[in-house]
Parts: sequence; structure tokens; C-alpha cells
Amino acid sequence: MRAVGSERGSDTDFDRKEGGRRADAGRDSDRDDDPVAVELDGVTKRYGETAAVDDVSLRIREGEFFTLVGPSGCGKTTTLRLIAGFEDPTGGTVRFGGESVAGVPPEARDVGVVFQNYALFPHMTVGENVAYGLNFAEPPGGVTREERVAELLELVDLPDSADRDPESLSGGQKQRVAMARALAPGPDVLLLDEPMSALDARLRERLRVQVRAIQSELGITTVYVTHDQEEALAISDRVAVMSGGTPEQVAPPRTVYREPATRFVAEFVGDNNVFTGRVVDAQADGPGDAGTDTGGDDGGRRSEAGTRDENDMRDENEVGIEVDGRRFRVGLDDRTARESPDPGDRLTACVRPEDLRIGGDRNRITATVANAEFLGETTRMTLDWGGRDLVVRARDPLSGEVDVGFDPVDAHVVGVERQ
Amino acid sequence: MSDRRRALRGGGDRSLSDRFEGRLLTLFAVATSATLVVAFYYPVGTVLIEAVRVDGGASLGAFAEILRDPFYFGEPARLLAGDAPLAVARDLVSPDRRLGIVGFTAYQAALSTVASVALGLPAAYLLARFEFPGRRTIRSLTIVPFVLPSIMVAVGFVATFGRNGTLNAVLGALGLPPVDLLFTLEAIVIAHAFYNAPLVARVTTAAWESVDAGAIETARSLGAGPLRAFVDVVAPQVYPAVLTGAALTFVFTFGTFPIVLALGGFQLATVEVFVYRLVRDLSYAEAAALAIIELVISLGVLLAYLRYEARSAVRSRGARPLPRKPLVPSTPTAREWVVRVGLAAYVVVSAVVFLAPIASMILASVTGGDGALTLEHYRFLAARQRTAAAFQVRPWPAIRNSLGFAVGATLLALPMGVVVAVLTTRRYRGRKLVDAAAMAPLAVSGIVVGLGLLRGLVFGVEIAGWRVTASGAVAIVVAHAVAGYPFVVRTVAPGLAALDRSLVESARALGASRVRALRDVELPLVWPAVVAGAAFAFAISIGEFTATVVLATGADAYTMPIAIERFIGRRLGPATAMGVVLLVVTGCSFVVIERLGGESRGL
Repeated sequence: MRAVGSERGSDTDFDRKEGGRRADAGRDSDRDDDPVAVELDGVTKRYGETAAVDDVSLRIREGEFFTLVGPSGCGKTTTLRLIAGFEDPTGGTVRFGGESVAGVPPEARDVGVVFQNYALFPHMTVGENVAYGLNFAEPPGGVTREERVAELLELVDLPDSADRDPESLSGGQKQRVAMARALAPGPDVLLLDEPMSALDARLRERLRVQVRAIQSELGITTVYVTHDQEEALAISDRVAVMSGGTPEQVAPPRTVYREPATRFVAEFVGDNNVFTGRVVDAQADGPGDAGTDTGGDDGGRRSEAGTRDENDMRDENEVGIEVDGRRFRVGLDDRTARESPDPGDRLTACVRPEDLRIGGDRNRITATVANAEFLGETTRMTLDWGGRDLVVRARDPLSGEVDVGFDPVDAHVVGVERQ
Repeated sequence: MSDRRRALRGGGDRSLSDRFEGRLLTLFAVATSATLVVAFYYPVGTVLIEAVRVDGGASLGAFAEILRDPFYFGEPARLLAGDAPLAVARDLVSPDRRLGIVGFTAYQAALSTVASVALGLPAAYLLARFEFPGRRTIRSLTIVPFVLPSIMVAVGFVATFGRNGTLNAVLGALGLPPVDLLFTLEAIVIAHAFYNAPLVARVTTAAWESVDAGAIETARSLGAGPLRAFVDVVAPQVYPAVLTGAALTFVFTFGTFPIVLALGGFQLATVEVFVYRLVRDLSYAEAAALAIIELVISLGVLLAYLRYEARSAVRSRGARPLPRKPLVPSTPTAREWVVRVGLAAYVVVSAVVFLAPIASMILASVTGGDGALTLEHYRFLAARQRTAAAFQVRPWPAIRNSLGFAVGATLLALPMGVVVAVLTTRRYRGRKLVDAAAMAPLAVSGIVVGLGLLRGLVFGVEIAGWRVTASGAVAIVVAHAVAGYPFVVRTVAPGLAALDRSLVESARALGASRVRALRDVELPLVWPAVVAGAAFAFAISIGEFTATVVLATGADAYTMPIAIERFIGRRLGPATAMGVVLLVVTGCSFVVIERLGGESRGL
């Protein structure tokens, strides 16, 4: 029945049935007990009038893989540089293990940093690069410098390359040497600043699996900066989606994807269809009233709702909104339900392309295919609906007019504006 | 794991040596500032105070007198003296107008600038747009004037254009009447062009080479013809560089000293020469006031230019350069012929201007009075060493002093230059101010620095009851270091600035202090530039004349350039022989700069 890319679709179903959100939340609360490795407390960094980082508070836990993601200029790299000590905050405090590191220079912070451009010392061999940090710290584990270098090069899968010239390595190899060099002195925190942006897509995917594996093996607290939301979702324990110098949402990847806290997060992480309209009937209304909104779809919706128990629960937490004279029903989750939107409020909800089903009969929209990109496993199509763009996915490209619809429960409310 | 690095440093706190290392850069910066204050700002300051101090009180009387004196400021000075503007304007356009010394200085500087640009632009065109054997060598030779002692150039010009010079020998052989260009404005302007045209050519070539071929191709594809594309795309990118060259040439030639002293004498005195004369006559207050007026004019031009440059500095990097044309095309068109004939004529002219003085000097040093080849001038130098009277210049101490001072000045200038380069390539508030303060010695006349050092240090200062004096030799080393270190900065800073910031940051994240990162990462990577900077400082010291001539008076501290100046009036032969020795020494410095400085030079 569903024309959505099968893998993604089944994944969604699975999560919902198994209570995916609760699983995420559970992981989150486990983490809550872990000690905090790095804490930012109201940290601000101003350059003249503009705040690159604006009152950021984050708690990065020990052993966590934490990612700062956002478009360029969102302050993610500055945040990383504040943690590394390359920049001094204009306001607020950075703490390592509970202690303020104000005025502590980078060399005394026990951080390992990997830059996008590798920053290997060109006048040293690979081995000398990796050994450089051992001039200032004993190799961990009571091994000799040489043993430590060999150990690290082994870890990044580049054994026997100690005598090579960095310039003779490929981009991916350089990046792994940079990683080995950063890890050699056994830092408390590993900071990665867009480490893979200069690499091609396929290599990037391979390398990120490797990076995550090394991180898990060492259990090292890692802060990762990237502009690539897909990479952020794939690699992280938790993600901070940043915009305008502030994190819009800090949560595990699945929460960020399924329950974006703001419209910005909804649109930055993955594709999304955003509907903004006026609330026409509040959540107290029963499903019967909704029937008038969706017209002829009434019966179909009822029968479908009947087959899914959580929908029964959710039906009480639905509101109707009007977008360009067209009425939709959207579900509210616990958070938005608490806000109890009233008729007249402006409400913004989003629906993932995989939830906007072709031929779906609830909240049906008739739109015209404007563009179809065949991506292999799916086809990503842009639909024109009265001058608005909608994104849907299907197995094969379609053309002309199509009917799409979504289940109210798949709509996620990201904002309620009181009137 | 977390305490390992801290443990290594001795407990929870950072150890003493670690803290010391962290402060090392600050320490160096303080030492450099102190040296600059003692060797530059304080002496120059005393000159300033000298100029405004009259009978214990402050007065601008000396300035007012100079500004109102037509001897200095020509006809415009009468405006300040209260004459009617119309009368002044009428006299200004009349043929027998008086320019005054300042007016003449500006006039010859303007002429020299025009000549330098005229001579430099074709060279830039040739070097930037054509491919021919020896192009790279010629391009790198454009750095030579920076290290060529100006007094040596003066000797070369005397040997070329003097009464018995090469030019007249050639004219005589052709049956033409001799000309005497010596002590004329023409000789001065040509010598200045010799000095500054390569500078114009150098900066213009660099700008021309950085024009992106893609930009021109875009213009052409949009319908612009070759000429239109040049006017619209190339010219706007090249002319700021021409302006740079012209502005620097004007400032350099406005403050010119040895060339005018040797080629113009006191008849064609520029401000700097007259300041020197006033110093010799012990009229310190007037000398100081005049020197300050000169400084204000030079700095004004320089600042006006820098403001302009700051607005228009766009340097495209990594652009695809224009392909060079072969010098001899396979099927030349009429237009190509015209261009190439023009270039050939230019090559002849530039050969005369650039090669003749050096060749004449070498030739004159091995030519006797009878025109035969001889080593008598060199023998004279050796003999003078044995028989010189007390007041006469002995060659060996001059050579020894020159080398000794140069080594000392280089050892002092190198750390200063590196520290300033590090400080000016980091980002912080007030960086521009530091840059300007550190570069000021480039703009201030050597006479003022020399005079300041003479009055301030050599004659001694009283500090808290202690009388501090420095010997003439020490003062000369310090003056040379101050003159030379901006060149170290200018060679090292571009290298440091081009270094990826994340290299240093990586080193620091790995545990290296700022100074350690400088030692382990930055300096090894810019090492060639550091050595080139050292060679620069060495060559500047070897050739320095202006401050030395003030400081060497009386003291037994004369150098090769001073010896040449003493010889030049009376015995051209030994002067040229000494000039050749100087040429060899500076030639070695040039080779070092060229081999190691690469393209990273800022000048």
C-alpha cells in the first residue's frame, strides 16, 4: 500500500510499535547519571557587535559522542574553539569535570583536536606527527613513545606508515593520522571540527563508521562539529542543532528527527513539509467533528483509526487547522497538548516526506508533480500545491496530479503562536 | 588519564618553567619594544624636543621660521610671511620661480617617481606577459636595489656619467662632444630610477601575474575585445600595484640622501642633505625642525597611500594566471612587431640605466689614468692601509667595521623582526597600531635617527643619576638593526600569515606552549624566509650610509660606504675599488635572499 521508500518506512513502523520515543528517552536518562565531562554555562562569544555564540549552556557527558550541527555561521565551530581554548568566551563559563578552565591555555586542557584540513605538520613524518604530543605528556599505559605511536597507527588502520611523508598520503589517510596524533597523548576530550568535509561522500561514510568505532572502543568524550545533518544523525549519541549562535534543540538523533523542537530544526534536519495555519477547532473536539473538515474521507479515517490503538488515544489530542482554506487535522504530543492551542491560534506542524503518503486518504491534498529526482532506492518528488512546495518520496517517479495524505498522528507540531 | 599531562607538569598546577615558557613571547615582545624605544623612539623624540625647545621653554618658532623662509619653501613660503596670494601665484608660474629646498625635494621626487614608473612598467609588462630565457633571473634581480648600497650606486653613476666616465668615453669614440651630467638634476633622477624602477616593476609584475585568466576569458566571451578586456579587467587589478610602487618611490626619493650628496652636492641639496649640513654646522635645532617637516611630509604621503590601499586591497589567490606569450612569435603580425620593437628599445635603454653604472664601476676600478688595465686602485687601498695618516680613512678598518656591524645588527634585527612578525600576524585589537609603530623606522630618515642616537646615546643621557653613554660603534649597530629589522618582518610575516592557523592550534592542543609551537612548527616552516630576512638585515647594514655618516664622525667607526664617500670626491679609482668590494659582499647577501626568500617576500 505504501509507496514510501521501504526501508525508511518499515523502520518508522517498527519504532512506533516498539515505542521508539521511549527508547530514546530511556537512553537519555541513562546518560543523565553519567558525570559531566564538559559543561558550557551561559557561554557567549562576541566579535564586536555580533554574538557568534549566544548564551549557550550544554552539558556533555563522559564518554558521550556529542555533535554540534547547523548551517555555516551558526556558531558551532566557535563553540568547539571555546571548548578547546583557542578562543576566550566573552561571557559565561566553560568547565572541564566541574572545574572552570577560564584562562587555561589550550595546551593545558587535555584536549585532542582534529581539523577539517588535517593540519599535519608538513616538516615531520607521520610518526613524528603522532609522537608530537608525547613531548608534553607520558604515553598512557606505561608504553614507550615508539610503542604508543605504533599502537595509534594500528588503531587508525595505518600500520607501518610512521616513516612516511604526510604529503604522500591521501585525504582519508591524512585525516586518520590527524586522529591518531590527537589521541596519542590520551586526551580527556576529543574535538573534531568538520573532520570529513574535505572528503568525498563514499569515503566520508566509511570513515565515520571508523571514527565512531574508535570512539566507542576508547570511550572518549567526543565533540563533533559538522554541517551535515545526515552525518550528525548517523554518528552521535546526542545532537545539538544550532542556529544563530544558540542550540535550538539538544537531544538524541531520533528525537531530533521525529520530534523537532522548532521549525528550524524540523526543516534543517532532513526534508519536511511545513503547514502553518489557524486553529479552527481545539483538541477537546471529538473525531466526529473532524469528519466535517476532511469531508468525504470521514469513513476511511475512522476505519483506519480503529485498527491502531494509539490513534484512539491520540484522537483526543488532535486539532484542526486551516491552511489556505483547506482544513487538516494534526495530532498533538504531550508537550504541545499541554499548550492546549485555542481556536484562532497560529499553529505550525510538519510532516516528513515518508509520512506524506501517495494515495493516503486522510488529510488528502491534490497536488501536481513539479520535479522528480530519482535517487535509486527512492524517488524524491517536489509537488506543487497551490504555489506551495511539498516533498514526498515514492519508489518510482510519478507525473501529473497525485493525491497525497497524512495521518494526523504523523504530523508533528513545532510551534503554537497565541492570538 | 586526565591528570597525566598535569602530573607531568608537577602537581595540579602548571610548573614554573612552564609558566616562564608561556611568558617567553611576552618577554621577547617587551625586549623588542625596549630596544625600539631606546634605539628609535627615544632618540627621535629627543630630536623633536630639540626642535621645539628654545631657552628652556617650548616654542614652535623654529618651524614657523622654516615655513616662512623662501629658502626652504620657495614662493609659497611668502604666503605665510603675509604676501598677497596673487603675487605669489604670479611668481610661481614665472620661469625664475624659487622652489626652495622642500619644493626642490618634492620636485625631484616627483620627477624620479615618473621616471621610475616609466622605466618600471615596460619591465613589468615584459616579465608578466612574456616567456623568455632568463625571465626568472631578471624577475628575482628586481630585489637587488633593496640590498644595493646607495653610495655604491652613486660611485657607479660617477663612473658612468662623470667627466671621464664611460658615457663620455663612448661619446668621444663616436666623435661627439662630451657631456657632463654630474651635479645635474638629470643624473639624480636617473639614479633614482635605477633604484626604484625595479621596485615598481616588482610590485606591478606580482599584481599582473595574479590576474585570473578566467576573468579575462569571461570578459572576452561577453563581447569585449582584447583592448577593452585589458582596460576593464587587467588595468583595475594592476594599477593599485603601480600606485604602491609610485607612492613608495616618492617617499624613498623624498628622503634621498647618499645619491644626492654624491651626485648633486650641496648645490642640488634636498632636505635630507641640508639637514646633514645643518648637523655638521652644529645647528641642531634648525636641523631637527627641518627633519621633522620632512618626516611629516613623508608620513603624510605614506598614510594617504595606506588608507587608499586598505580600501582597495583585493588580491585574488590561486587564480589561474594568464599564459605567457613567447618573445619571438612564430608568425608575427604587424601589431606584434610594433610591441616587440618597442620592447627591444626598452631593453637597450634599461641596459644603459641598470647595467652601465655597475659595469662602469667595475671597469673604472681596474682602469688606470692612462686607460690601461691595472690593479693600482686596489694596491692603493692596501698601501693606504699601511701609510694612512690619523685623519685618513684606512680600508681595512672600514671593511672590518662593516662586517662587524652587519653581524651585530643582524643578530639584533633577527629576533626583533621575528617577534614583530609573530605579533603582527596574530589577530587582536590594536594590531594595526603595533604594525605601524614597528614599521615607523622605515619612514623616518636615517639622519634623524643618527642625530638622535648621537645626541641621546653617544653624548650620554642621565637616568636616575647614572650617566649612560654608548660608544659610536654600539650606536651604529643599534641604528642598523632598527633600519634592517622591518625587512625581516616583511619577509617573515607573509610566511607566517600564510601558515594554516590550525597547525599552531594542533600543536597547542597537543600540549605545546605558544613559544614551543613557534619553535617546533612555525619557524621550521618559514625558516627560508627567516634566513632571507637575516640576509636582508645584513645587506641593509652593510650599505647603510645615512645614520652611519652622522654617528661615525670623529669616532673610529667608519664603514665601507663612509670610506667610499670620503674617497669619491678626490680619488674615483679607490672609491670604485672599494665599491667592488661592497658589491661582492652585498651580492652574496642577495644570493642568500634569492635562494631562500622565494616568493614569500612582502616587498
